[in-house]
Amino acid sequence: MKPKKLKLPKCAPFSKAHERYLRKLRNDKIFVLFFQILILVAVIGLWELLAQTKVIDPFFMSSPSRIFNMLSSLFASGTIWEHIGITLMETLLGFAISTIGGTLIAVILWWSEKLRRILEPYIIVLNSLPKIALGPIIILWVGSGMGAIIIMCTLICIVMTTITMLNAFVTCDNDKIQLMKSMKANKIQIFFKLILPNAMNEFISILKINVGLAWVGTIMGEYISSSAGLGYLIVYGSQIFRIDLVMASTVLLCLLAAIMYIIVSLIEKWHNR
Amino acid sequence: MKKLLEFKDVNFYYQTKKEEIHALSDLNFSVDELEFASIVGPSGCGKTTILSLIAGLLPVSSGSIILGGEKVGKENHQQIGYMFQRDHLFEWRTIWKNITLGIELKKQNNKEEKFELARELLKKYDLYGFQNRKPRELSGGMRQRVALIRTLVLNPMLLLLDEPFSALDFQTRISVCDDVFNIIKSEKKTAILVTHDISEAITMSDKLIILSSRPATVKHIEILNHNGETPLARREDQNFGALFDFVWKKLTNETEKT
Repeated sequence: MKPKKLKLPKCAPFSKAHERYLRKLRNDKIFVLFFQILILVAVIGLWELLAQTKVIDPFFMSSPSRIFNMLSSLFASGTIWEHIGITLMETLLGFAISTIGGTLIAVILWWSEKLRRILEPYIIVLNSLPKIALGPIIILWVGSGMGAIIIMCTLICIVMTTITMLNAFVTCDNDKIQLMKSMKANKIQIFFKLILPNAMNEFISILKINVGLAWVGTIMGEYISSSAGLGYLIVYGSQIFRIDLVMASTVLLCLLAAIMYIIVSLIEKWHNR
Repeated sequence: MKKLLEFKDVNFYYQTKKEEIHALSDLNFSVDELEFASIVGPSGCGKTTILSLIAGLLPVSSGSIILGGEKVGKENHQQIGYMFQRDHLFEWRTIWKNITLGIELKKQNNKEEKFELARELLKKYDLYGFQNRKPRELSGGMRQRVALIRTLVLNPMLLLLDEPFSALDFQTRISVCDDVFNIIKSEKKTAILVTHDISEAITMSDKLIILSSRPATVKHIEILNHNGETPLARREDQNFGALFDFVWKKLTNETEKT
């Protein structure tokens, strides 16, 4: 039976000095946010100004208003949703497969020290290998299209996931393991009660890293072989000299990556609560 | 008093790539039920190894260890409580979840009894209000008390304390030392303390085992009679200084040898 939770009294601010301290914290936060927004507005404003006054050529450099118009027309025609959906699905699948798969491989390698020692050189080589070099081979094996892109995305993230999680598992404090053993814990209990929760910070870190890597993998895959997706739009736009389309697709990619990162940050906040 | 633990001609060798290290040599000593024994010796002489052997975490190379009438081996059935240099509370668990960790690991029917014991111990040692807090919210002394309760809820036959106060500042250390001693005595437990701190060993123990340098062997055993005084009160004892000097000289001789 669980004991009841304690209710802490709500008593902040404790004093005038504490109130001043809280106000300073709030002001600092507003200051940082203000400059973050200012930089964005300044860059967009300057870019637009330079394009309007023909200091830069909008044909090659585009401009915020042209990008906005392009986005409006893409959303108005509704064709963009298919491209966003495909890229998002490829990224999320690659992200999920590599995160779960990489962690499972790390668990197996933690479980068997001999297997870890046998496979160590292969993991190091795979980690150093530029995965884009495998692109043509993957297309030959599985054909071009979504399958090849998801494999590409998975390959980019999975090795890093395995290495990070394995490192987190094997560096767990030996005294803690001995403590569990002295309580007669078996290996499964040691893993689920100690090793895995102890590695949660590294797991959150790898989620954050994989958010970035998964987008790199998907877009790289779409550059090599695709007929739809935001990466395809970027390549297509550059081939027909429609820089507005390239920029608009890039803006959408930035937004999607930011949303995914925010979701991971919320998971981190929930974990650290 | 009945013997609870007995070391009979125990030898232990560490195997490394370059050499075979003879860590313990024909070690013979015993600890009675309800006794508080301390082991002191030069650095690296194998004090922690002795605790690992008792807990069955390492196998003896030769000789035998008898605990509660059973030979200690790989399949050690005796319940042992182990406290390390740091409290090793799991930061992601609440105090309650830390204390009941050992109960969770066991497949037994009387879990509710153990939970009840955990609640009683929390109340008795002023931690009941902190059960839903995380370890980071507790002071060093409170954390050590939680670590001790975590081992006591399993009702261990023997408590092994591996320098459990070494990570604390001096003032906290003295008060936690008193706390831990009182808890162990009031719960009627047998304990073995490994420490570098001579004054800690003298003030807490009924029996003081002095080891030689490596390969460690028992150099001297001192039986101490404190007449139920607490460690803090024992520091005021008139024999404390002389005893401290005696142990100091024994250890200095050993350190010089190495």
